[in-house]
Amino acid sequence: MIFVDVLSGGVSGGTSIMYAALGETVSERAGVINLGTEGCMLMGAFAGFAVTSMTGSPWLGMLAAAAAGGALALIHAILVVSRKANQFASGLSLLFLALGLTALYGSGYVGQKINAFDPIAIPGLSSIPIVGPIFFEQNILTYISYFVAPLMWFVIFRTRIGLMLRTAGERSEVLTVNGYSVVKVRYIAVVTGGIFAGIGGAYLSVAYSQSWFENMIIGRGFIAVALVVFAAWDPLKVIGGAYLFGSALALSPVLQANGYEINQFALDMLPFVLTLLLLVFLGKRAVNSSPAELRRVFDNARA
Amino acid sequence: MTTTVTPPDLSSSPDDGQSPFSQRAELVGRLTGRWVGAILIALVIFSILIMTRGANPLNVFSEAWANTIQSPFAMQQALVKAAPLILAALAVAIPARAGLVNVGGEGQLIIGAVAAAGVFQFTDGRVAGPVLIILMVIAGMVAGALWSGLAAFLRVTAEVNEAVSTLLLNFIALDLLLFLIYQPWKDPNGTGQPASPPLQDDAHLPLIGDTTVTIGIVIAVICAILVWVLLKFTRWGFKLAVAGGNPEAARRAGLPVNRLLMSSMLLGGSLAGLGGMIYYAGTEFQLRPGLLATIGYSAFLASWLVRHRPLLVVVSSVILAILIVSGDSLQIDSDLPAASINILTGLLLIAVLGWTASPWFKKKGSES
Repeated sequence: MIFVDVLSGGVSGGTSIMYAALGETVSERAGVINLGTEGCMLMGAFAGFAVTSMTGSPWLGMLAAAAAGGALALIHAILVVSRKANQFASGLSLLFLALGLTALYGSGYVGQKINAFDPIAIPGLSSIPIVGPIFFEQNILTYISYFVAPLMWFVIFRTRIGLMLRTAGERSEVLTVNGYSVVKVRYIAVVTGGIFAGIGGAYLSVAYSQSWFENMIIGRGFIAVALVVFAAWDPLKVIGGAYLFGSALALSPVLQANGYEINQFALDMLPFVLTLLLLVFLGKRAVNSSPAELRRVFDNARA
Repeated sequence: MTTTVTPPDLSSSPDDGQSPFSQRAELVGRLTGRWVGAILIALVIFSILIMTRGANPLNVFSEAWANTIQSPFAMQQALVKAAPLILAALAVAIPARAGLVNVGGEGQLIIGAVAAAGVFQFTDGRVAGPVLIILMVIAGMVAGALWSGLAAFLRVTAEVNEAVSTLLLNFIALDLLLFLIYQPWKDPNGTGQPASPPLQDDAHLPLIGDTTVTIGIVIAVICAILVWVLLKFTRWGFKLAVAGGNPEAARRAGLPVNRLLMSSMLLGGSLAGLGGMIYYAGTEFQLRPGLLATIGYSAFLASWLVRHRPLLVVVSSVILAILIVSGDSLQIDSDLPAASINILTGLLLIAVLGWTASPWFKKKGSES
């Protein structure tokens, strides 16, 4: 049963990382890495919670979260696409901005209760042993995410829009030659990334923990960025990675709930250690398949 | 060894004054203008934001001025925080010369403090203060270097991007700290939030005069000067700039690029580790949750603010430290959350990153 609990927690906890990582995949496919994903998630988590609290509608909350995440990412796009600022430095500046903004406006929302997305068991499917409790006793946002990743894969690899996106990241001059604007494609990609990160953040505050507190993302955005790398910029591989981290995050609460005396912080390390290990073992192969223009960003000094 | 390669970056570097004086003066003027503009815009946006929360920006700024800039105690606090900030910012600046992005200042500071506390834990008061201080310095520096060195090693062997790995190592260091103080190193006599046992009195770093400022800030400034000399006047610094400017050319000229990358990260990490030790043995004396409270991330911004020039890093670090301390004034005097000050930090950085790049920096600074 612990096994099922961990995996079910992994799916519900991993969904937030999945949304963010899918968004970051779009952004990086266009050649822009956004370390501010952490900040976009934070903005989304706050905006989603605040608007849900004000309007009573979690759906409006999600809309606000998407807008907030996208708005922060827009600043990143302006800085790195138009102003050619360093992508890593810009991303971290955005994180600071988000930390400050959400602290300033969020203080009144700490400890509030909202009309949140609760888990809904899907009749029939949820009674399948093992698979049922893991995948079909989740909230609506998780169910939506089951469709988002394959859809995104289809858009990126099978449509004209996806082709333009990938060209912006692989050989941007081809877009220019054919009369398209690289700048426009990158702006759209980065903002799309922020929108998804915002949704991922709001998933945490409106569905998962159903509360708001300062700096509540605690590294999930950075994990999402790392996840994109070893998922080799493929939305389908992002799914597995996200659930893996979700499970690593779920391990500690599940073990504690089952009466194991463990030091929580040793287990909190797990997702980060795991990410690092996966980067080491899958990293080299993944990096070789990275979008060429992104590789230029990564390889300031080619080692 | 002899090398005939001219590094592209040094020719455009601001330090060697190849441009005629008048041109230089004009550039300085234009840059100063942009800087003032950037700071003003950041302040205006920040004012508007806090106004929407019902605070009067003029009051907020005058309170912050009175209780930070004009308060000797607050300024001393800023200098205390500036010491680890400068050292961690140097840990960003040195690898940046080689084109590496070290976002791991936070983790390297934490691990330095943990190592220092570990030495005390291990010796358990059986060692005299001065000896313990030396041991803690060594432990802190070695630990910091290991933490950054791991990221550098993964970069040169497995092509793991160092910006991502150093970020992940920050969280691992933080969880390690929490793990230790919640269990194995928990002070049995402590009350309230868990912390490690207090450091023995005779191992506290000395204070400057009768202030609350430790010699940490002096050490940090000396380190900044040494790093400046190292980068500007030594063969190693020159090679590092070559490797950062054009690694392919550097490799063809026979420079050991991987070794240069490793050494820059190791040196940077050891300085950040020293910063953590200084903060532990000079200010906190105990490990506790929230020990460094994002000083390491501020350090990353401090280094970027001045485009990684070691002497200016001191200035930008002190400014950011003052901002951090003034956050407390926001909380106490204006009832705004202390973390709100991060808005100003973020805006300042955005303005500087986006709108103050000069022709000097074009080659290095604007490369994404």
